[in-house]
Amino acid sequence: MGLGSIAFSAILAADDARAGVLSPRPQQLPAKAKHCIFLLMEGGPSHIDTFDPKPKLDQLHMTKFQKAVNKFEANMNTGERYYVKSPFQFRRAGQIGIEMNSSLPNLADCVDDMCFYRGLKAESVNHPTALYHLNTGNQFGGDPAVGAWVSYGLGTVNQNLPSFVVLPDVAYPQGGSANWSNGFLPPHYQGTPLRPAGSPILDMTPPPGVTSSRQRAGLDFLKTLNQSHQQRHPDHADLAARMESYELAFRMQAEMPGVVDISKESKEMLALYGIGGPNKDADALGRRCLLARRLIQNGVRFVQVINMGWDSHDYIDTAHGVRLAALDKPVSGLLKDLKRTGLLDETLVVWAGEFGRSPDNGIRRGSTAWGRDHNANAMSVWLAGGGAKRGAIVGATDEVGGSAVEVVHPLRDFHVTLLRLLGLDDARLRYLHAGRDKQLSQVGGEWIPQLIG
Amino acid sequence: MKRISLLVCASFLQGADSSGEFSKLVEPILVRDCQGCHGGTQAFSNLDLRSRESMLKGGSRGPALVPGKASESLLIQALEGKGGIEMPPGGAKKRLPPEVIAAFRKWVDDGAPWAPAKISSKWTYYDADLWAFKPLRPFDRNKRVDDFIDAKLAALGIKPAPAADKRALIRRVSVDLTGLLPTPEEVEAFVNDKARDAWPQLVDRLLGSPRYGERWARHWLDVTRYADSGGYSNDFERPNAWRYRDYVIRSFNSDKPYAEFIKEQIAGDELYPGKPEAVIATGFLRAGPWEHTGMSVEAVTRQLFLDDVTHSTASVFLGLTLGCARCHDHKFDPLPTRDYYRMQAVFSSTEFARPKLPFLAEENHEDPRSAAEIKNTFDYAKTKVSEYRQMGAKKLMEKYGVTKTEDLPKGELETVMNNGAGIPPAEFEKFKLYQKHMQIYKDSLDRFEPKAFAVSSGPMDGETDGGQQLRYPKRAAYRAPVVHILPGGNIQSPADAVSPGVLGLLEQYGEYPSPKIPETVEGRRSKLAHWIADAKNPLTARVMVNRIWQYHFGRGIAADPSNFGKMGKKPSHPELLDWLSGYFVEQGWSVKQVHRAILLSKAYQRASVNADAKFVQEKDPDNAALAIFPPRRMDAETLRDSILQVSGELSLDAGGPGTFPQINEDVARQPQHRMGSLAPVYHASALKRQRNRRTIYGFQQRSLVDPLVDVFNGPTLDLSCERRETSIVPTQSFALFNSQLTHDMALAWAAKLDGRKLDRDAVVARAFVEAYGRAPEPPELAASRAYLDKMTEWHKQTPPPAKPVRKSVIHKITSELTGQVAEFVQQGDPDDYEANLHPSDVKPETRALADFLLALLNSNEFVYVY
Repeated sequence: MGLGSIAFSAILAADDARAGVLSPRPQQLPAKAKHCIFLLMEGGPSHIDTFDPKPKLDQLHMTKFQKAVNKFEANMNTGERYYVKSPFQFRRAGQIGIEMNSSLPNLADCVDDMCFYRGLKAESVNHPTALYHLNTGNQFGGDPAVGAWVSYGLGTVNQNLPSFVVLPDVAYPQGGSANWSNGFLPPHYQGTPLRPAGSPILDMTPPPGVTSSRQRAGLDFLKTLNQSHQQRHPDHADLAARMESYELAFRMQAEMPGVVDISKESKEMLALYGIGGPNKDADALGRRCLLARRLIQNGVRFVQVINMGWDSHDYIDTAHGVRLAALDKPVSGLLKDLKRTGLLDETLVVWAGEFGRSPDNGIRRGSTAWGRDHNANAMSVWLAGGGAKRGAIVGATDEVGGSAVEVVHPLRDFHVTLLRLLGLDDARLRYLHAGRDKQLSQVGGEWIPQLIG
Repeated sequence: MKRISLLVCASFLQGADSSGEFSKLVEPILVRDCQGCHGGTQAFSNLDLRSRESMLKGGSRGPALVPGKASESLLIQALEGKGGIEMPPGGAKKRLPPEVIAAFRKWVDDGAPWAPAKISSKWTYYDADLWAFKPLRPFDRNKRVDDFIDAKLAALGIKPAPAADKRALIRRVSVDLTGLLPTPEEVEAFVNDKARDAWPQLVDRLLGSPRYGERWARHWLDVTRYADSGGYSNDFERPNAWRYRDYVIRSFNSDKPYAEFIKEQIAGDELYPGKPEAVIATGFLRAGPWEHTGMSVEAVTRQLFLDDVTHSTASVFLGLTLGCARCHDHKFDPLPTRDYYRMQAVFSSTEFARPKLPFLAEENHEDPRSAAEIKNTFDYAKTKVSEYRQMGAKKLMEKYGVTKTEDLPKGELETVMNNGAGIPPAEFEKFKLYQKHMQIYKDSLDRFEPKAFAVSSGPMDGETDGGQQLRYPKRAAYRAPVVHILPGGNIQSPADAVSPGVLGLLEQYGEYPSPKIPETVEGRRSKLAHWIADAKNPLTARVMVNRIWQYHFGRGIAADPSNFGKMGKKPSHPELLDWLSGYFVEQGWSVKQVHRAILLSKAYQRASVNADAKFVQEKDPDNAALAIFPPRRMDAETLRDSILQVSGELSLDAGGPGTFPQINEDVARQPQHRMGSLAPVYHASALKRQRNRRTIYGFQQRSLVDPLVDVFNGPTLDLSCERRETSIVPTQSFALFNSQLTHDMALAWAAKLDGRKLDRDAVVARAFVEAYGRAPEPPELAASRAYLDKMTEWHKQTPPPAKPVRKSVIHKITSELTGQVAEFVQQGDPDDYEANLHPSDVKPETRALADFLLALLNSNEFVYVY
């Protein structure tokens, strides 16, 4: 056991005695949010084509220019380039009057509960490093994910469910499971990916032919063996904890299927999330969003929903168009559902990709294809519920959306803000690892007051 | 902490400096305990405690100082742990001593006069912080390990536990040295061996076993982060990296002197040209995750390598957290940023290389079965790509109204070949998939090629290897790049240029002179290697013997094995650590001699229970004094290997390209994103003798770790793993009680026991001996009989499930081009997959026996070692 573990066991001594159960812990700072649903848009959604339109690009459209080769730029972002206007229509929505993409009519109903932020800057323009940065605070991976830190800080309400759950898209994202790693935190805090079909948690379902009575008989016999062994090692505390973890596992096995089963939800509820409609992508995302709500309701602390396919280098009209059509109902449905049940007050919803996209595109293969490349200097993210400011547009980018220019903050400040909304203080939510006190923001940061209600 | 702070007070109270209270009492604490975080551009909470003005201005919580009013000053509240802030962080334990806080209070009440002494603002270090950088204590040949352990126990008034019984001892030392259980025959032989030297004989036998190297290499690979792939977007294979893994195994088995082991890994190519082993060893320098793609910035990925190798070398061999000094002077240790970049400059001429290197006689590189399978899949992908290209070319020819590809406009054919132009959108994702698979399998074919994953000083023309699109200079035109200090780690604002050098702290505090490092292309790493692998370097031996000690006892003498700096735990037995280091050097850096010195001690052979447990628990709650031998859960590899071993399924085939164990099927079939497309489905090796090898020989894919290894606290492949944690989580219960693997292994074990044609009680007894090294007690036997009867009845009533039909796998990916989901059929298991025994292959009695054995595999007695 290292320094880290000792610090951990000092805080969670009671937990250790109970087989590593994640008992709930008080917030460090007063805050409304008790849960978080993080909607991760993998690939980097274009702020210009979603929530931060740039009419200036209509004038500049197809204007070519040369971007000099620069040793600090990726090959892809240099050479001959041209500006690209947005192929989408925009509309003004809500009391706040945000200009947003018209293909999100349902989400437009929710904007007065949302806080749009246009001042955030990422650092890396490479997917896995940028994803690691957004998800763990460290571009190079290996550190705990935001959900792991939150679980470490707050524990979980329902002992029979994992505290940090991930709902992946059809494939794992770039960089794989390191995106929901517990890093150097104990494995209790690791994100548990729930599988859309089959056993929701790995090996939660025994192989074919193992009925519950056969399993129970096996567990009882195991208990007999363990009790006999424990008598010979009465001072070995881990033995009891390990015995209890089998019972916990099988309580989880009993409870989880009911939580993930959405078949008993009403038709109206399913329709609200876009489930069962003609759009198959919306159906799939809607199921994950509804499941996220059910998990939160059942005491899960942090749910990350992953939606992939936003990396639209070419033909942004179709590539982003399809994504937006799939996004509208599931995400607006989630917000409306949470609001209706009062859960929105205590649930922080975050929507973010790993970076924004460029106002210009490269001339590739000798032709133009109206797409956008990666852009770490500008992006749009939004928050809703859980004490985030209601109905606000914070920060701004320049006239073409190339770079954030107002209320500009690095990603670490965004992380500090998310923790702050959940009642956690980044400066105090630390873990001693290999002799160094580590924290989500890596080097400390400031929360962004404009995002907090 | 408290004791150190008092020391500090004493030292500055007596100091000659007499320029006032502030400089005597307050400033040293501000410098030592506060300004590391609250100073400079990256100050925590925006609070800068380096001047009176900045204190008055305060940070995000408001002013830190109200002159004249200590109780209202945030600074004082924080020091006292009031008002919700606690500084230094870490709770009451880390609070400064009351007399120090009183001095701060008085200073503030006096109006907080700022009268800095004319002393350097450099960090101040105290004796206790510096222990690791100081020279080793003189080696006393007449001492033994127990002298130091017993002295400490006596000082604490603790009576240690008696010697462990022989059954516990042989299980303990077998797992410790080989990572496998002793066989029942080995246990009985040892128990019945009444010779005086039975124990040392056993230790020697195990140290001489090839299984020893497989076990201890794993520890080293944890620290160096060995993997067979590069991580990030593509997680591309490193097809020859396995030769480094086998090199490490061979080095432990042959008891290679540690000094030589160090030199080979840091500078084998320079120091031992013509010794293939030493070139393979430099794979160490490239072990970290690394990738360069079209979206990468070359200057960034090069810097990523340089930072990784600098940090890793210091951490692995010297136990220093040098990485902290990348952006700013180390906040706790005497490691200025300048030293960080001087050491980095040692590697500035280190370039990636993949030279041809003939296989050694002792290397196992042939695997015709796997090679043929990879070749088939590569050919399949190639055929598909070619079909799609023809499809694209045809469409383009139609578009341009020509009949031959040569007649297409210039450049068009190229876009078909490289970018799949002309392929209809619905088919395009499949083209990309097969193109990606071609790229992946091409690397895999290289596993069997006699090349090394290595480095060279300056590029090796034609034998470079650095991912796609990385530009290499020609050797003739090569100059070693000049390294600059990068404040904040920012490559876009280089500061002073530095010349290569070693870390100054050992000269400053350890009486160990720093050598001059040449500025030529070659010879930089050689000098560094010599500086590290030297008996006069006080860190090298200490760090290694401490790692060895940790693996034997579960905890190092210094409990943070990769942090010997101020923030690392101080050694529990500092004299012992130095004595072992001296012994290590005296024995020619022999690791096996250090094992013997430790294993032959009484401390190692103690029982895990103590009659006076309560008293000991109070006196020494962490068991740092080693009154008992600390029990331990098997680590992930030992657990898997032991399960295979008792089942009779373990293959002792050694070495060679990584093989693919049977892993959870959901994970195997999980689609994995690989930049722009998907990875092929994970396939377990078709032959049992391949997939049932020891865990160390499994292919280490950074993005796809065997979930069984992962859930039992396997190593993180991206960060150096200095010590395995042992958590207890319910998902471990799922992995052992519900997984296909453990069910399959229990069934194989049952069939193996069936083959012995024993009666029921004898089968139970044999199973107990194989799993636990002992016979069952009468109540255990009775319970086992009852359970077997019950399950036999159950299985007689219940027919086994049908054999699974192996299906191909459907994968989906969201197209970047159209935003729509595309579907693929990925290949399932090969036709010649050697299936495990299935319940329907055996009679009900055997299925019941398997249920019984599954419980044994899950039991605490199986997974804990005493």
